[in-house]
Amino acid sequence: MVETGGLSTFNIQHGYVEALVRGMRNSFVSDSDYHHLTQCDTLEDCKLNLTESDYGASLQNDSTLTPQDLQKAAVDKLAVEFQYLRSQAVAPLAQFLDFITHEYMIENIMMLLKGTMAGRDINELIAQAHPLGMFKESTMRSVVAFESNAKGYADLYQCVLVDTPVGAYFSKFLQESSQNVGAAGEIRNVLEETEIEIIKASLMKYYLEDFYAFCSSLGGDTATIMCEILSVRADTQAINVTLNSFGTPLNDPSMRSTDRRRLYPSVGFLYPAGTSMLAQASDEESLGQVCSLYPGYASAWACHVENDDRSIDDAFFERDAALHELAFESQMHFGCFYAYVKLKEQEIRNLVWITECVMQRQKEAVNQFIPLFSQHAPWRQKGGRR
Amino acid sequence: MNQQVFKGKKKAAVGGFKLLKKKADALKAKFRDYAKAIAETKGTMADDTKDAFFSLTQAEYAAGDFKKAVLEGNMVAQVRVTSAVDNVAGVKLPVFNLQDTGAVSDNQTLGLVGGGKKINASRDRFSLVLKNLVKLASLQTSFVTLDEAMKVTNRRVNALENVTIPRIEGILSYISRELDELEREDFTRLKKVQKSKEERIKEEEARKEEAKENAKAEGIKPMKTVNEDIMSKFESLDGEEVLF
Repeated sequence: MVETGGLSTFNIQHGYVEALVRGMRNSFVSDSDYHHLTQCDTLEDCKLNLTESDYGASLQNDSTLTPQDLQKAAVDKLAVEFQYLRSQAVAPLAQFLDFITHEYMIENIMMLLKGTMAGRDINELIAQAHPLGMFKESTMRSVVAFESNAKGYADLYQCVLVDTPVGAYFSKFLQESSQNVGAAGEIRNVLEETEIEIIKASLMKYYLEDFYAFCSSLGGDTATIMCEILSVRADTQAINVTLNSFGTPLNDPSMRSTDRRRLYPSVGFLYPAGTSMLAQASDEESLGQVCSLYPGYASAWACHVENDDRSIDDAFFERDAALHELAFESQMHFGCFYAYVKLKEQEIRNLVWITECVMQRQKEAVNQFIPLFSQHAPWRQKGGRR
Repeated sequence: MNQQVFKGKKKAAVGGFKLLKKKADALKAKFRDYAKAIAETKGTMADDTKDAFFSLTQAEYAAGDFKKAVLEGNMVAQVRVTSAVDNVAGVKLPVFNLQDTGAVSDNQTLGLVGGGKKINASRDRFSLVLKNLVKLASLQTSFVTLDEAMKVTNRRVNALENVTIPRIEGILSYISRELDELEREDFTRLKKVQKSKEERIKEEEARKEEAKENAKAEGIKPMKTVNEDIMSKFESLDGEEVLF
């Protein structure tokens, strides 16, 4: 394993790329821009305001701006920027950046598989894929080429997925499921019987564990910062899976300790004591009790219980944003790359939210987004008072 | 005889008119009810739809773009719209009902990793909107059908009231007038006949009298000459008066 390098050697390999990403940090939409955007009455106004920002160039072509167009343009812009960073990077940063894209690859593969089962057109599906998680064109096309029967799926895995970076997660998932199902090798059965969302959650779990292991092997500040971010993310997934499983078959007593438990990542602050308690949680109350044991999540849970305006998702997003912003505060580590992508994602969510609110004339809700690198962020206010 | 036929017709027309009038009133009452219900549903519809689409935005904010996942899923209808027929005063109104097919949603675990609650909230909102939409469709269709039926009924009522019944009445009065006329004619004819009969009787009597007179004449001749003189005297006077 190549070391990331410390204070004296980091910049030899990765200094330029880090400088790039720190330069890109300037492209975030500022507080005043957000303020102007929230004052807009029409989408044309929004577009006019955005031309001042970093998105100006990518929005030039569209005559009318819809939230969907904006999202597509912003995601494409992020992908271009990311590809640029990736092309400058050397190991182990290159690997790190690849790890970031695996998440989107998982999403794309799941989308392709589901689309194939529903018999959709491959070109349509490829057009919908997330640009950060693109495979080679031939790989994507071959996903559909396989027949949708048991042999077809087995072939699909052996010929296509095994080659892709996310193949390892698939094989882990199939192995674990087939142990449960009993009939080994029946990929199709596994794929058909398990819902796509559950497969996705399992794959994300393997991805998080893998990414975590990779980051801790890098050591140094990267490990410190990334492991915290990923731990929090793993905990978020565990809590969310539990919360969202209520009212679905996953909450059946028989499924709780087997199927649902398998979706909890084996990293994070909740693991192992917290996750074993989560596995027993049968309703919101018991989940709340588990959360109250962890101060970081108790406040998020309080949002879910008390406030209708802000949901638990908002609380998690806000905390993620704070963590990711903090990743920019120190140097000589990779955390800022991950943070950059995640913060951009949040920014895209914000912009889509604002434009949707403007379009649907929901003036009172327009401020329910999470400003990034804002001096007014709640967590900075708290720090100031301290 | 014809009068009897038309009297029957008139009775039927009036009866029909009364019945149709009743039907039109019943339809009008129902029509108002529907109009009220439509206004109410439409009033809430706008807000509900707005809320539903906004909840979708909220869900997308929390869970990312899950539209694809929904679109790629196998589409088994969870609700179906069935139509039944409601009968209002003989007018058949279509009624749409939402029926749960009992199919299990395949997207229950959507947003498992985040935003599932918001997606569920959005799902509930849209179910409500769908329910209202079907209700509104049902009401609106009934409304239009009712409107049509009401127009037809009103046209019939008006036709009966303003055309058919007056025409029958006209015919009836014509018939009675004709009958009266006939009666009068008969009467005068009878009178005339009676008169002529009387005259004839008088003549005959006069002739008989004359015959009697003649028979008696041999006895009383001067009387007759006196009589004749008196008559001629009057006649000349009459002629003079007319001339004058």
